[in-house]
Amino acid sequence: MNDSISNPVRRVDAYDKAAGYAQYLADMKFEGLLYGRLIRTPVSRGVLTGVELPEMPEGYRYISAADIPPGGENRIQMIKSDWPVFVSDTVRYLGQTVGILTGPDRQRLHELASKITVHCRTQEAAYTIEEGLACRGGAIHGDDNLFADFHLKKGDPEAAFSQADRIVEDTLETGFQEHVYMEPQGITAEWKEGKLVFHASCQCPFYIRKAVAPSVHMPYENIIVNQTTTGGAFGGKEHFPDVIASALAVAVYVLRRPVQVIFDRREDMLYTVKRHPSQVLFRTALDAKGRITAMDIDARLNAGAFESCSPIVLQRTIFSANSVYDIPNVNIRGRAVATNTVPSDAFRGFGAPQGIFAAEMHMSHLARELGTEESEFKRKYFLAKGGKTVTNGTVREEVLLEQMWSRAAELSGYYEKLKAYPPGSYRGIAPAFYLHGGGFTGSGEQEIINGKVRITGSKDGSAEILLSNVEMGQGTATTFSKIAARVLDIPLDRVKIANPSTARVPDSGPTVASRSIMVVGKLVERAASQLRERWGGTSDESVLVQYEHPPWIRWDQETLQGDAYPCFSWGVCIVEVSVDPGTWEVETLGVWTGHEIGRAIDEAIVHGQVIGGVNQALGYGGLEKLELSGGGFAQHTLADYSIPTSLDFPKVTSFLVENPYEYGPFGAKGAGELVFDGAAAAYAAAVQRAVDRKVERIPATPEYIMEITEA
Amino acid sequence: MVDAYYPGSLAEALELRTERGAIPFAGGTDLMVKYRRPAGVLPELPGPVVLLGHLDELARITEEGGILHIGAAVPLSVIESDRRLPYLLRSSASQMASPALRNVATLGGNIGNASPAGDGICALAALDARLRIAGSQGSRSISLEEFITGPGTTLLREDELITEITLRPSDCTRVFYRKVGTRKANALSKLSVCADAAVQDGVITDIRIALGAVAPKVLRMKDIEESLRGSTPEELSERIPDVLAAYEKHIRPIDDQRSTARYRKTAALRLAEEFLRNLSEEENRE
Ligand SMILES: Cc1cc2nc3c(=O)[nH]c(=O)nc-3n(C[C@H](O)[C@H](O)[C@H](O)COP(=O)(O)OP(=O)(O)OC[C@H]3O[C@@H](n4cnc5c(N)ncnc54)[C@H](O)[C@@H]3O)c2cc1C
Repeated sequence: MNDSISNPVRRVDAYDKAAGYAQYLADMKFEGLLYGRLIRTPVSRGVLTGVELPEMPEGYRYISAADIPPGGENRIQMIKSDWPVFVSDTVRYLGQTVGILTGPDRQRLHELASKITVHCRTQEAAYTIEEGLACRGGAIHGDDNLFADFHLKKGDPEAAFSQADRIVEDTLETGFQEHVYMEPQGITAEWKEGKLVFHASCQCPFYIRKAVAPSVHMPYENIIVNQTTTGGAFGGKEHFPDVIASALAVAVYVLRRPVQVIFDRREDMLYTVKRHPSQVLFRTALDAKGRITAMDIDARLNAGAFESCSPIVLQRTIFSANSVYDIPNVNIRGRAVATNTVPSDAFRGFGAPQGIFAAEMHMSHLARELGTEESEFKRKYFLAKGGKTVTNGTVREEVLLEQMWSRAAELSGYYEKLKAYPPGSYRGIAPAFYLHGGGFTGSGEQEIINGKVRITGSKDGSAEILLSNVEMGQGTATTFSKIAARVLDIPLDRVKIANPSTARVPDSGPTVASRSIMVVGKLVERAASQLRERWGGTSDESVLVQYEHPPWIRWDQETLQGDAYPCFSWGVCIVEVSVDPGTWEVETLGVWTGHEIGRAIDEAIVHGQVIGGVNQALGYGGLEKLELSGGGFAQHTLADYSIPTSLDFPKVTSFLVENPYEYGPFGAKGAGELVFDGAAAAYAAAVQRAVDRKVERIPATPEYIMEITEA
Repeated sequence: MVDAYYPGSLAEALELRTERGAIPFAGGTDLMVKYRRPAGVLPELPGPVVLLGHLDELARITEEGGILHIGAAVPLSVIESDRRLPYLLRSSASQMASPALRNVATLGGNIGNASPAGDGICALAALDARLRIAGSQGSRSISLEEFITGPGTTLLREDELITEITLRPSDCTRVFYRKVGTRKANALSKLSVCADAAVQDGVITDIRIALGAVAPKVLRMKDIEESLRGSTPEELSERIPDVLAAYEKHIRPIDDQRSTARYRKTAALRLAEEFLRNLSEEENRE
């Protein structure tokens, strides 16, 4: 066997997790621990008029906006700070935090919580994108309910439309999606020697520090955030932990006792952030030969009650709205619409899955309309090296989609199956193509994050990696360790990496945006190679490195023009289905998928990401129905919200093609989100072919498939 | 506090029912969900419980004179693998919940819970199951169909327990079982169709069709079944539209978080049709 870095190793966290030694938040013991229960608004929109409390036994306290310490402000510092810690007047969503009830016994706490009545004057609420755009009940945000309204233009779409032979219109929709992370949200906060210390199941320890500082009016150096062992979080623990931590900060500031909040699964499903529902309208101009000459795209996301990171999610949606295609003339408008639902937030793919689903399905509808085979139609428009993106950026890498397509088509028997299953035969096979921009959108890496990584070498010959990106099952602890071990030329077990504490590690940025390996891993590689030059394994040495932007990137944050991402990862996915003509249940018969992620640092870990990402995407595409009901969600238990089991989808056949990227460690690019981006569209297109009806939204449940076939 | 009693015998369990009003608790897979509270908080059961899962008297499967007696507390994992039991029942048990749950969940509990979506109930309804109910005054036998009166309601009296399910032998060999769940495993039913039939000398001698989760109770229309007995497959073929129309009138499903009324109705009728078509198109085979 060669000694490629891609060869799998045993994960550094495998033993502790498999043997049950890993301590999750709920396993940790704190002396004198109090428990906290968030008290919530019973309405989606209105004004808080009062809170009726039962008599509080000794040791039990109700803490709310009135308890915010002098100098503190009732706001959570995210990108904006529109989200208050506690409702003090205006209510924007059902279940918004009004206060926190604390006490030593959870049984007692539960009884007391059920005796608290929150009184609100109710106002008419807006829940859907349409209602938000129409400012139903009056504007929630600004005077138009738009957290963001972006415009992009490539080429000369007006001219192309004026010369069009025909124009095809389409509307594509996606629903909410719940993260169903491994363990529900949870944080313990305590007061220690004048410092506020958090132990959090989270993705971004430094975000929490920043978020809570204004509410307790404390400097960063007196706030410490320790990440506790965290299971797959999928974006759900990017910003939402800030919401719990801010309430806890005020409580602990007042009580000077450790307080723990761990959500119940039901509470978590009802009141935490979800993936943005989307609605994307296409108008496409075709010339007389049926070639696409221009597209006009209007993308809308349901952003929920507060801004959180919606504008950046929206940027990914619109930047992905042409998927892997180079369309010469494009007009795009994107809007993040305020509504009275729980704020929508980060979720694996971060807006890209919505844009890609819409683009892929629209291309698929065009192929249907033109009577051209879908893969052949799509492949004519593939981006290539030097091609222009919708932000007029340049594709700098060789695009290997053709090679990936041939391989996937061969593995799946695509062309034979296409012949064997004509449209409407209740069997279908279809492809999707996709890409994912690596790292933060635009100038984020450089201007907002500016990540730093430290590696220390000790005289006992071991080295420790210090950074703030968390291991959450996706394998970063192993991957970072492999990079450092390889560069330092020491055995893997001589490299240490621990759950980060903001008191110990430099801020290498959040664990988001598929940036950990590509961006932070590169810093690990650079730090290790600098350390290697001066450390022989017999002294104590330390190296700190900081992010450097690839010099050729051109980006204007004001106009959203230029290279939105330094590079892209690429994917192809083919899904084969059969649809039961009696019940419209879908049986997925095969999934074949290929990815270009530069180079895999660990093939087994990447394979795990592929299987997980594809299954999660198929759940999104076919099973995971999450409907609004009275401002809450109708499906709020794991019995009713159906994530896939191991029986729902078949084995995923997966391959990788290499295309090393200069600015990634050992050539690696991002992989974690890419693998989610395409499978839902391939699934929907396969169902579409099987029943020979246009699929226009996901999840494509049997109920929906019945509606379109029986219509 | 929750008081849980661990009786040494069925007699003792019945005593606890009578004297303490204890709630029967078999696998607890419905009860523990229904009364669950947040982490660290005890379930809010409305009274003491009497544990049944360990009682030998309720855990046996026996056959006497062709009649099967299934203890009310036999776990589903045993039911799905006991070859003496009808295939329809085994199929339905094997598709309920997950392996871990099937190790503790019981048919007695499925019946006691009386959910319109109970999978065991639907199969048992198609099999004309009867129940043996023991109480402080002795025991009685009642048909499953009579026993369940609506969603979550039964004729169980306060001093009683279901002790066994009894099945008479049947000649049915044309078994049709379809559960349409929210996903392929560990899923609750959107609807289900349990049917079987016997064909002898080219004549349908027996036929039973039970539709689950499409009405407040499992839907079985015995008058229609009766009218189909004695038909040949060809005669059946002509009657299918009428039969489906009759079912359609009695299917009264609901819209809920798992599915829509329209889907439940359409899919249930399609599956019933599939069963009838299979039967009507069958070659005359012995
Ligand atoms: C994750 C999950 C998945 C599930 N999937 C399915 C599924 O696919 N299909 C399905 O039908 N159900 C399903 N269920 C529901 C449940 O598992 C079944 O209804 C099961 O058969 C209940 O049996 P049990 O012994 O656990 O009942 P228990 O919870 O012990 O009791 C249920 C009810 O019956 C009463 N009872 C129990 N035993 C007796 C007795 N001997 N006499 C009188 N009354 C009695 C109890 O008092 C209670 O009211 C699922 C539940 C869960 C949690």
